Amino acid sequence: MTDRMRPEKNVYQDYLRSTHRLGRLVSVITLILLVGAPFVIGAYLGAMPDLGAAARGFLAVGLVWTVSSVAEFLIYTPMLGAGGSYLAFITGNLINMKIPCAMNAREIVDAKNGTAENEIISTLSIATSSLVTILVLAVGVLLLTPLQPVLQSPVLRPAFDQVVPALFGALAYRYYRKDVVLALIPLIIMSALFILVPSLASSTSFMIIPSGALAIGLSWLKFRKAQEGGRA
Amino acid sequence: MSVLSQLNSGTMYLICGAIVAFVAVVCLVFILRAWKAGKAIGMDVARMKRAMTASATFSVLPSVGILLGVIALSGSLGIPWPWLRLSVIGALHYETQVAQAAAEQLGLQLSGESMTAGGFSTIALLMSVCIMWGMILMTVFGKRYLDKLSGGGKVKARKEGPSFADAAMTAMFVGMVSAYIGSYIGSYVSGAGVFQFRGSWTPLAVAAVAALAMAGFTWLTEKKHLEWLEGFSIAGSMLLGMLTAVLIGG
Repeated sequence: MTDRMRPEKNVYQDYLRSTHRLGRLVSVITLILLVGAPFVIGAYLGAMPDLGAAARGFLAVGLVWTVSSVAEFLIYTPMLGAGGSYLAFITGNLINMKIPCAMNAREIVDAKNGTAENEIISTLSIATSSLVTILVLAVGVLLLTPLQPVLQSPVLRPAFDQVVPALFGALAYRYYRKDVVLALIPLIIMSALFILVPSLASSTSFMIIPSGALAIGLSWLKFRKAQEGGRA
Repeated sequence: MSVLSQLNSGTMYLICGAIVAFVAVVCLVFILRAWKAGKAIGMDVARMKRAMTASATFSVLPSVGILLGVIALSGSLGIPWPWLRLSVIGALHYETQVAQAAAEQLGLQLSGESMTAGGFSTIALLMSVCIMWGMILMTVFGKRYLDKLSGGGKVKARKEGPSFADAAMTAMFVGMVSAYIGSYIGSYVSGAGVFQFRGSWTPLAVAAVAALAMAGFTWLTEKKHLEWLEGFSIAGSMLLGMLTAVLIGG
C-alpha cells in the first residue's frame, strides 16, 4: 500500500466504525417506534393490544418469519455491506426491491463485492431506493385519501374481505411451480384434514407448522436422494 | 365513529407519518455520509451519481406496485397503517399473512366490517414484532459478522453446489401456502357440513384467479422479457383476484 492511499484507508475505516454506531442507534430507535406505535394507537383507539393473542399469533407465524430473517441476514449482509444492510433491514422490501436495486447499481458502476466502493454504492443505492418508495407512497396516499368513500363502499367490500385468499393464490403459483410434486403432498394432506375436521379452519395459521414441517421433511428426502445420486 | 374511520383519522396519519418521516431523514443522513466518504476515498463522483440515478429509476415502478398493496390492505386496516408498514420495514405478502394470523387468534376476519379497536392494535403489534428480527440481528451481530467476512476467511465460504437452505426456504413457504389453500378447499367441501359441498367457494375462486394472474405475469416477465412487470406481479395478481370477489358478489 502506498503512503498516499493510507489516509484514505483510515478515512474509510473511520466511516465504517461510525456507520455501525449510527446504524445500531437508528435501528434501535426504529424498533422502539415500530413496537411502540401499536400501543400509542391502542391508547388513541381506547383498546390496548391483546398480548396473549399476539403471542399465540407469533408462535403460529412469527417463527416462520424469524427463520426467514436469519437466512436473509446471513445471505444479504455480505452483499450489501454495513450501511446498506442497516438501511435495508429498516426499510424492508428486500427481495422484491432493495437487493435487485443494489445489485443493479453495483453492476452499472462495476463495484466488486467486499470493497469500499461496494459499501458506498450499496448505501447510496438502498437509501435512494427507500426515499423513492417513501415519496411514491406518500404521493399515492395523498391521492388515495379523497377516494376513501369509494374504497369503503359496499360494492368493493367483498374484494377487501378476500385479500388473504388473493395473496395465497398468487404465492401458490410462485412456489408450487418450483416443485409441483413437493407442493401436491402437503396440499392434499392439508385439504383432507380441513375437509374431515372443518373446525380446523379457525386455526389455519397453526396448521402452517405441521404443513411446513411436512414440506421441509419431503424436501430433505429429495435433497438427500439427489446428493446420493450425484455421488453414485 | 366506526373503527375504520378512526383508522383513517388525522391522528393515525400523524403517528404513522412521523415514523415514515424519521426513516426518510435516516436515509438522507446515510446518503450524505456515504457521498462524503466516497469523495474522501477518491471515488468518481459521476459513478456515485450514476448509481443513485439508476437506483431511483429502478425503484419507481416497484414502488407503484407497493402502493397497490396499500390499497389492498386499506379496506381492512385503513390507509395510514399499511402506508407505514409498506414504506418502512414491511413487504405485502408478509404483512397480509401476519395480519390474518393475528385476526384469527382474536376470532376476527381480516375485513373492515369485523375490525375492532382491540383487534387492530393486536394485529399492528404482531405485524411489528414478527418482522423485526433482521434489524435486531444486524444491530447485535452485524459488525462482528462483517468484520469476520473481511478478516481473511474466518467465516466459512458458502459451499459450491446446491444447498439445502434454499430448498428448505421454498419448502417452508410451500407448507404455508398449502395450509391456507387446503383450508379454502376444506371450507367449500365441508364448511356447511362434512362433504356437503355447500360452503363458500369465493376464497377458492379468488385464489385460483390470483394464481392464474400470477402465471400470466410470470409468462410476460420470463418469456416476453417485460422485467419491469415483476414489481407488480404480487399486488397486480391480488387485485385481479379481489376483483373476482366483487364480480361474484362476496
